[in-house]
Amino acid sequence: MYLDLHSHSVSSDDSRATVEQYAKWVGVLRGKGFQIDGFVLTEHRKFDFDQDYSALSADSNVLILKGSELDTNFGHFLVYGVTEKLTDRVNFSDVHMDGLELVAAAADTGAVAIPAHPGRFGIGLCEFEGDYSVLHAGERFNGSNRPGEQERAEEFLSGLNLAGTGGSDAHLVSAIGKCMTRFEGSISDETELVREIKGGAFSPVWLDDTQQG
Amino acid sequence: MNDTELYYEDLDLGDEIGPVGRVVTDEQVIEFVTVSRDEVGPSRFTSAEVAKSEGLPNPIVPGAMNIAIMSQLITGWSPTVTLRKLDCVFRGLVPHNKPLTLKGLVTDKDIVDGSPRLECDVTMENEEGTPLVIGKATVIVRMREG
Amino acid sequence: MTNEDPDLKFDRSLLGAEQDMGSVQVTREMIVRFARSTGETNPIYFDDEAGKKSEHGSIIAPPTFCNSFVNGGTRPDIGLEFGDLSLFAGQSIESLAPVKPNDSLHASTKLKEVYAKTGRSGKMVFTVWQTSFKNQDGGTVALVEESFVSRKRTPR
Repeated sequence: MYLDLHSHSVSSDDSRATVEQYAKWVGVLRGKGFQIDGFVLTEHRKFDFDQDYSALSADSNVLILKGSELDTNFGHFLVYGVTEKLTDRVNFSDVHMDGLELVAAAADTGAVAIPAHPGRFGIGLCEFEGDYSVLHAGERFNGSNRPGEQERAEEFLSGLNLAGTGGSDAHLVSAIGKCMTRFEGSISDETELVREIKGGAFSPVWLDDTQQG
Repeated sequence: MNDTELYYEDLDLGDEIGPVGRVVTDEQVIEFVTVSRDEVGPSRFTSAEVAKSEGLPNPIVPGAMNIAIMSQLITGWSPTVTLRKLDCVFRGLVPHNKPLTLKGLVTDKDIVDGSPRLECDVTMENEEGTPLVIGKATVIVRMREG
Repeated sequence: MTNEDPDLKFDRSLLGAEQDMGSVQVTREMIVRFARSTGETNPIYFDDEAGKKSEHGSIIAPPTFCNSFVNGGTRPDIGLEFGDLSLFAGQSIESLAPVKPNDSLHASTKLKEVYAKTGRSGKMVFTVWQTSFKNQDGGTVALVEESFVSRKRTPR
């Protein structure tokens, strides 16, 4: 199963893509022979509890899940399986929050938090010292990396022997699916996504590598 | 200006706009910042000294000029299109006198309140392919008559 | 609206308050200079003959023309206590009606939000303004939303 685990809609301050347009673009990609089953919206510093994409998901045959990308003192983290238990405990808009405390809070509440673009200059986890034994995975492929950042991410995650995910970090419609995560298991909701991330049976892929025929 | 007339019926998701190569010269920047007045003092846009004093590597292209250049990707695309809205995020400093590439991609198509419209991703990249400006353009396109 | 970062100190009374930015008289020369400086090639923006033959009866300004009047200095200082470098972070401009030579444009703006985030440059604070431009007939010609970023001069 191929999922883009990192994307932003207009709900994030710096994205210009609507969710509807992402779903439509997935159809364009499938028409070109690429494999993509869905995407996760990881909006900056928030979680959109009120947004329900189930009808859009059904109409477009695209799995649309929700998560968050949070700013912490250890760089940015992607959070999947967000619940009110977690948002009651962690202020998502606090750009100074402790990243490792976020990881612990996520684990306590049935969610999972992984470092986003760990090789990114300035806000990648590789730039910070800490005990990362609590991490389940890290974002190995990010579609918005600049020169050098991909290599730093791969070296960092390999050094920690951490499984790697893939996500486009899309802020424009046409960027969705640029890189994704290929899961061995089946996922239909956020709970199953968390289970599969914790299970480790996945690998990052580039869109081009999914083309059939 | 591309003279090819493009119509709503001819265009589809995935169609490319450009790419268009641009270099923004010092003289163009000076002309831009003096559009509404004959002289302006040295600034981060026109003076290497002022730019460096502000912690910038070199004079930069004004953001307002960047969005105007981005709009030209659309206005120069076909005489049958009108740019209705352009929404851009500036992700990097745009230098003078360096090659830039403007690109667009049709990502949506619909008739809105009787008006045939496209939505397009637009980007401005530097020589390394790093996007310095990203955005979305809403474009009104003529339909064929009859 | 603004996120509750204790480091975000600014004049919150400005949030949502309409501010007059004054007027500007548009000349043919301004339009042509704007078009020329930004590489416009459509003759509607600089060729008087093409303008006369068009539906507008004259040359018109390119759709982002009102940008040339966007200037942080003409807005009130919100007293933001963060960073020592301010840059233009983004803009949305919706062109609702053509701007022609001899139009008189009046702008008013209001502070929409202030928020913090982190990126490659370290911590940044964004200030977002919404500005409308009306012509002499009271018609709105452009709606603009501008975002400015404040950060430290030396990125960490």
